[in-house]
Amino acid sequence: MSTMKTTRDVRGVGLSIPRPDGPEKVTGRVQYVADITPKGLLHAKLLRSPHAHARIVRIDVSKARALPGVRAVLTAADIPELKRKAPTRAHAVLAIDRAVFAGQPVAAVAADELAIAEEALDLIEVQYDVLPAAVDPLQSMQPGAPPVADVGTEADTSEALAHSAVALAKGEAPTKAVNVSQTSHVKRGDVAKGFAESDVVIEKTYRVPMVHQGYLEPHAVLAEWDTTGHLTLWASTQGSFNTRTEVADVLGIEENRIKVIPVECGGGFGGKIRALCEPITALLARATGRPVRYVMTRREELEAGMPAPQVIIRLKTGAKRDGTLMALEAETVLESGAFSGTVLAVSAVFLGSLYRWPAFDIKGSEVLTHKPSVAAYRAPVAPQTIFAIDSQMEHLARVLGLDAVEFRARHLSRPGEPMVNNQPWASHGAHEVLARAAAHPLWTERAAWKAGGNGGRLRGTGIALGGWLGGLQPTGATVKLNPDGSLSVLTGQVDIAGTNIALAQIAASAYGVDIEKVKITTGDTDVAPVTGLSAGSKTVYTVGVAVMQAAQDARRQTLEIAAGELEAAVEDLELVDGRVAVRGMPDRGITLTQIGRKGNLYMSKVPPVLGSAHPAFSQQAPAFAAQIARVDVDPDTGEVTLHDFVVVQDVGRAINPLAVEGQMQGGAVQSLGIALTEALTYDDKGRLTNPSLLDYRKLTAADLPNIETIIVEVPSPAGPFGARGVGEPPIVPAPAAIANALEDATGVRLTTCPMTPERIALALVERR
Amino acid sequence: MAKQILRASVNDEPIEVLVQPYETLLDALRERLGLTGPKEGCGTGDCGACTVHLDGQPVASCLVLAMQARDRSVRTIEGLAAGTLHPLQDAFVRHGVPQCGFCIPGVLMAAAALLDSNARPSEEEIRYGIAGNLCRCTGYTKMITAITEAAASMQEGARR
Repeated sequence: MSTMKTTRDVRGVGLSIPRPDGPEKVTGRVQYVADITPKGLLHAKLLRSPHAHARIVRIDVSKARALPGVRAVLTAADIPELKRKAPTRAHAVLAIDRAVFAGQPVAAVAADELAIAEEALDLIEVQYDVLPAAVDPLQSMQPGAPPVADVGTEADTSEALAHSAVALAKGEAPTKAVNVSQTSHVKRGDVAKGFAESDVVIEKTYRVPMVHQGYLEPHAVLAEWDTTGHLTLWASTQGSFNTRTEVADVLGIEENRIKVIPVECGGGFGGKIRALCEPITALLARATGRPVRYVMTRREELEAGMPAPQVIIRLKTGAKRDGTLMALEAETVLESGAFSGTVLAVSAVFLGSLYRWPAFDIKGSEVLTHKPSVAAYRAPVAPQTIFAIDSQMEHLARVLGLDAVEFRARHLSRPGEPMVNNQPWASHGAHEVLARAAAHPLWTERAAWKAGGNGGRLRGTGIALGGWLGGLQPTGATVKLNPDGSLSVLTGQVDIAGTNIALAQIAASAYGVDIEKVKITTGDTDVAPVTGLSAGSKTVYTVGVAVMQAAQDARRQTLEIAAGELEAAVEDLELVDGRVAVRGMPDRGITLTQIGRKGNLYMSKVPPVLGSAHPAFSQQAPAFAAQIARVDVDPDTGEVTLHDFVVVQDVGRAINPLAVEGQMQGGAVQSLGIALTEALTYDDKGRLTNPSLLDYRKLTAADLPNIETIIVEVPSPAGPFGARGVGEPPIVPAPAAIANALEDATGVRLTTCPMTPERIALALVERR
Repeated sequence: MAKQILRASVNDEPIEVLVQPYETLLDALRERLGLTGPKEGCGTGDCGACTVHLDGQPVASCLVLAMQARDRSVRTIEGLAAGTLHPLQDAFVRHGVPQCGFCIPGVLMAAAALLDSNARPSEEEIRYGIAGNLCRCTGYTKMITAITEAAASMQEGARR
């Protein structure tokens, strides 16, 4: 007897299926922007300010324009669209009369060859009047600091909306603090009374420097105009519709005049959401009437990309001797660089409401400095915030002599309890994740690990819990039945992490066919339904719903057609093995191929099946990860060896476990980079001192053990098949986990990232 | 400056192209020969995305002048396997290694060179073998698994 497949057991959701573009990627055939070379291509280069803050007195481009092979040289004076008080980096295409960070573009060249464009940059003469620069964010907040933005420039909060969808009340900026561009303030209860009644009050300041997202493919764009004034952009972007909107706004043209083709994106992690070099490349292409390609160098990426903000959190917490939490006071400073655009709300939510504080008072400030403006980096501000609050909880537990995991679990907010903004926590699996981590041998055997050290190296184990609230954005998808019975899914979703295979699996399960019958395409902005960003851990959570609903719509249409053809009621039909049949009467059926063909026959009265959905969302799905690090430390040199590392993460439902593991492992290593090695460092003039990948130290394979992954599934109420966002939670906990492991090993609490050997050794010396 | 004639073997084919004396091998491969598998991630030899084989040895092609390849043999990711997937490529696909994919050609060329010189490397030897290749997406774990498995299957194949 053969078992017949039902829609419940089609090959779809839950299977570890390798992404279909794998062979293209391992053979080098996949094309990124820098690989695309149309006929007549020109190469662009940008002249960048060497000064963090300077008045531009004079620019002379006459020699550069005269160089053979140079097709265009542009300065701000050549761009009528440019406006003062640019609200974003994208709007500040070229500096007008003041450069506000070292690396800001002041002139642009397009030439026949890259070497000619480079030579032309050397021929541009710029006279600068160097001004004092605001380099340190805490000093930049003070009255009298050198001003960064022009007076009247609006704060940019669009990043916050895209990422976290958590609103907070605005706070009051200190008077005359010219560089404070956004503030927030939330409070509840009587903090002073809480501290007065506390047995233990701990105050520490946590610092995480600016770090770069580190995507391997530098920013790149190719722009070409046609003779009717329509612009095509081949872009390395996390969201082609967002790129289209931003570029249209900067250029002052209709979105319908721009087609953004999302080319394979060689990594983004939040750094390729906002437009950066697209507008200037489009302007060079317009000036020359030729296709122009611009590819940033790695040095330009590090000097003038859009890194993560520096985060400084002063945290004061009080507790009773029995472990009762009493009060929390915090001040978060986000260094935004030369333009506004950070996410203030995330810090307050995790500081004040990951654990239950009866009284809290949390202030946040976004501060401008003369450095490159920042952007999102995978769970923006969450790793830095969790570094502070989880370190503080761990330290508090140690001071009180309480079990660190039980202490966290006792105070960890549950779904339904209020966040700092009084909105209830949505369903989440933080408790389940923490419990699974605490049962892991790395944790249960930590005493044996610590005791087993020899040769003078100190051993320790650290655990930390962090997560992400989950982004939301409306989106759309279509699912069509082809004449051969296969399905085509169309979205505008940029696939970086392997989300397209997961979306195809959702379509397969929702429609009722095997994954092999499903093809998914990422369309450009001319053909795809409006689709949100690949960001905020929301691709599967939101686009997955659109695809699921579109597939269900296609299935409903399919069954209605079959009902008509078979003269049966829809309720009596089942879809099995690519054929719709009347339940209990297997002879009365029609194949998907027959239905698909009828939808494409000359003179046919059967409509083609085209399912569509375009949902908007209101319910977030927070997702948490716990990480455990097992380390040893050389107390003389401060050198740390990471022996084992495990990620335990609630993903709601693993649509594709293989891809989920890849996210957990990659996120964990980025998190470890923040913890151990990465920092953009600046001199007192605001110039980057480590503008290469030799000096900006990312973790290599030789620095790491295998990253173990444990998937926990606490279904989300609104996600497709219960899925939650996966991408961001794993980048959050490691800085705290490492700091906790180091305290376990050495007894010293580190509060500044990265926890380099130098910092560790110095901290140990200071204690002696 | 006058261009020079570069004659070499690239992926087992003889090639002859005009290159600038200051041009890197990476630029010659990508811009003159259309072999865009090798990537420029940094241009300073720090990321490994441009790794190719020069006379069988892995090199950062952004640090090699094109004319240094004169009369020598170059292999890029496009020539790693003819008409089929190399066991390393196959293992990378099955283990879901590539995410953004930008580092993958360089990692594969480094791994292939490693297996040429050491057919059964330990985990530590694999980790050091690809330590010159930065990857930002994967955390390297699945790469190590795939390289280990490919090494085993190649030995199995050699024995048969």
